[in-house]
Amino acid sequence: MVTPEQVRDYIAAGLACDHLEVSGDGAHFEAVIVAAAFSGKSRIQQHQLVYAALGERMREEIHALSMKTFSPEQWAAR
Amino acid sequence: MSQNIHDVIRQQVTENPIVLYMKGSAQFPQCGFSARAVQILKACEAKSVMTVDVLQDPAIRQGIKEFSNWPTIPQLYIKGEFIGGSDIMTEMFQSGELQPLVAAAS
Repeated sequence: MVTPEQVRDYIAAGLACDHLEVSGDGAHFEAVIVAAAFSGKSRIQQHQLVYAALGERMREEIHALSMKTFSPEQWAAR
Repeated sequence: MSQNIHDVIRQQVTENPIVLYMKGSAQFPQCGFSARAVQILKACEAKSVMTVDVLQDPAIRQGIKEFSNWPTIPQLYIKGEFIGGSDIMTEMFQSGELQPLVAAAS
């Protein structure tokens, strides 16, 4: 079973994050992610960057990941 | 000659104003995220929504993930444009961005 800490590490390994919180029960996870790479990107592009960081794990290990993504500017203006 | 699955999907999303790829049907969603997507479209008073149950068709289930470069279901298309999955639908509904898109397509 995958832990929220592992999901956190998987994301961090593929995407430089300013802020990264992951919670979950082993099947469903929720993440709040702030990354400079998100600046100027659409929501779809931001989520695609996270999915790209997770790669095959998203298909094999992680059943569901619900996420909120922010660029540093969006995070500051929240 | 078998039609390429991406051509099938392209035809679905261009010939129908609102298409939701989901697990199960609108009446009986088979996943909480798909159920939420259906509820959001109802709350937007969407009409003429075509739902595609990916559990009924493995080729579509795999094909839509490649077509959108998006690994999860549900996926919403409006007027041929990929809008997002259930998180993005939720955010756009809460911010009021989704309702006019749906209204313009209904």
